[in-house]
Amino acid sequence: RGAGAMWGALRGVRRPPAALRRGLAKAAGPRSTRQLREAEEAAPIFQYVGKSAKRKDRVFVWGFCYSGALGVPSFVKPDVGWKKPRRIQPTPYRLETEEKISSAACGYGFTLLSSNTRDITKVWGMGLNKDSQLGFQRSRRDRAKGYEYVLEPSPIPLPLEKPQQTRVLQVSCGRAHSLILTDSEGVFTMGNNSYGQCGRKVVEDETYSESHLIHQLKEFDSRVVQVVCGQDHSLFRTKKGAVYACGWGADGQTGLGHYDITSVPTKLHGDIAGVNIIQVSSYGDCCLAVSDEGDVFGWGNSEYLQLASVTETTQVNVPRHLPFKIGKIKEAACGGTGNIVLTEEGNVFVWGYGILGKGPNLIETAVPEMIPPSLFGWSDFNPDIRVAHVRCGLSHFAALTNRGELFVWGKNLRGCLGTGRMEDHYFPWRVTVPGEVVDVACGVDHMVSMVKSFT
Amino acid sequence: LNAAPGRAPRERVRFLPAPDGGDGGVTGLVAVKVPVLADHPLVRGPRLRRLKIGAGHRLDVKASGVFVLGIGHGNKLLTDLYNCHLTKVYTVGGLFGKATDDFSDTGKLVEKTTFDHITREKLERILAVIQGTNHKALLMYSNIDMKTQEAYELAVKGLIRPMGKSPPIITAVRCLQFALPEFQLEIHCLHETQQYLRKIVHEIGLELKSSAVCTQVRRIRDGVFTLDDALLRTQWNLQSIQNAIRDCQLKVKTELERTLG
Repeated sequence: RGAGAMWGALRGVRRPPAALRRGLAKAAGPRSTRQLREAEEAAPIFQYVGKSAKRKDRVFVWGFCYSGALGVPSFVKPDVGWKKPRRIQPTPYRLETEEKISSAACGYGFTLLSSNTRDITKVWGMGLNKDSQLGFQRSRRDRAKGYEYVLEPSPIPLPLEKPQQTRVLQVSCGRAHSLILTDSEGVFTMGNNSYGQCGRKVVEDETYSESHLIHQLKEFDSRVVQVVCGQDHSLFRTKKGAVYACGWGADGQTGLGHYDITSVPTKLHGDIAGVNIIQVSSYGDCCLAVSDEGDVFGWGNSEYLQLASVTETTQVNVPRHLPFKIGKIKEAACGGTGNIVLTEEGNVFVWGYGILGKGPNLIETAVPEMIPPSLFGWSDFNPDIRVAHVRCGLSHFAALTNRGELFVWGKNLRGCLGTGRMEDHYFPWRVTVPGEVVDVACGVDHMVSMVKSFT
Repeated sequence: LNAAPGRAPRERVRFLPAPDGGDGGVTGLVAVKVPVLADHPLVRGPRLRRLKIGAGHRLDVKASGVFVLGIGHGNKLLTDLYNCHLTKVYTVGGLFGKATDDFSDTGKLVEKTTFDHITREKLERILAVIQGTNHKALLMYSNIDMKTQEAYELAVKGLIRPMGKSPPIITAVRCLQFALPEFQLEIHCLHETQQYLRKIVHEIGLELKSSAVCTQVRRIRDGVFTLDDALLRTQWNLQSIQNAIRDCQLKVKTELERTLG
């Protein structure tokens, strides 16, 4: 009757035939609050992640791409027509890996990634391979030849006795050689051996490229727990707290009391004899060691005032104790021209030459200078931020806080800092990484970081 | 204000004929001070007909909190305070599990999600990252050359701030309360709008692989003015306004001198 009345009111309008007239249908108007609430309750609930979802482990890389050290082939050889070769990756880029990477190391133009797994493939390498520092990478086009540049993470075949039981603990890379530490089968070395840095006798006129030779080192006083590569020398730290060295010694970086090359790992004495060393570090030609009591010892190149606090000479070939009164030292890292240490209280000290991190006015210092914690995000609002780890590349530094933030500073060589800007940073600058940074490895012109996702 | 006793009417000397008792004769002139007729309140009208009131930083309809107003000559101080670029502090309340089109709980529902996997630790991690990226933006928009020693010294003291136009920057975030599905954050920010803060709540929900809407935005500090200085609805009368102006005068003056020199 309501519809009929409506149609009756519209005089002069032709009424539609009875079949087309709607019944007492209500006009659609704005929905009332009750309708809205009911619609909301009836809406489906989406679940994106479950209650016990684990945080994912990721690897991020950035820096110079043309050497292939970043492990992304499309940066060097684009796979699609519209992509252009990328010379520098200025911000962190995610690298897809098959396994969880537990240790990474950046050398001079190449990278090694290793996983803690028991599978057959434990170590992957990418980048420069002209001295077989990544082992023999068989070329797919010619089965007899090897690749000179490896553009994506390729497995490195290790001559293990028990490949399905041994685990790889740590990897380290130098200028043209690399060291792989396993838990039960000693240390494997590959790459250039012209100075004996691989721990085997120097063979004259040996061609290192496309070489299948991987040397195994087992003769130490106890199990090796840390391996470190300097530019052309290798350092091994054993469980008993002793340090062994081999390789080039012209700057005294082997610390054995002479300036010749050593081709067999030999134990160091000097001020560290009898001291329980808990960490060793080197990247250029200077070396630092930290003892369990918080003392730091140094040897090697001192042209940039790295060891000027104890001696005026520019080369030190015996480990010397560095008497710094800055507190108990937890961790040390050596770069090409600058050194950095982290104390138990969480303070960061730098010394040496170059961009040290205290503004453009501080270029060189022989005595450690502290970097104010406010530059790492410490403030009255966040009083419990501490630096947890320090790392060093050839001319830049990196610091990791306990909140998982990464700070970098130093010379921005080919975008190695990863901040997105091409200029050098004279004080610590945050790197925006989509995750919590667990560890970082610094190279000459690239960096690799192991990151845990947020959720 | 108009009821307050105003200025006394001006007086002037007029020569009026003397009141004489007799009829005719010589009338003398006596000097008498009389009030000027033009100053009579009925002729003049109310003294104050309009009041110039300017508003400080915007506060939108759904938000609440401290809102700074300038009266009369105080409007000039308002522009100076704006140029100081001081941070504002908000308490933002959020609710997990819903996503709406305008990021607040009164909007049209877009999606509902689960949120039982969210813990306080995960939220704090996201807040730390937000703080980190915004701190970087703070340094970048401050237009100071990072290669100079002055930039280093200011960065150590934490005084680098954008002194010009910049997109919204959050200088500090902290989680005050966390009781699933609700949570409350304290946000210190610069150059922001309340809708931007609601968007941040929505994005926090997305980062945590769930969704969130903003239930409450309340400004608790605007530069030097805090909740204690603010006047409640019941205190909107002349006496309290005058007291409030008097109390804040010194604070505003010292802050302006400190920042603008």
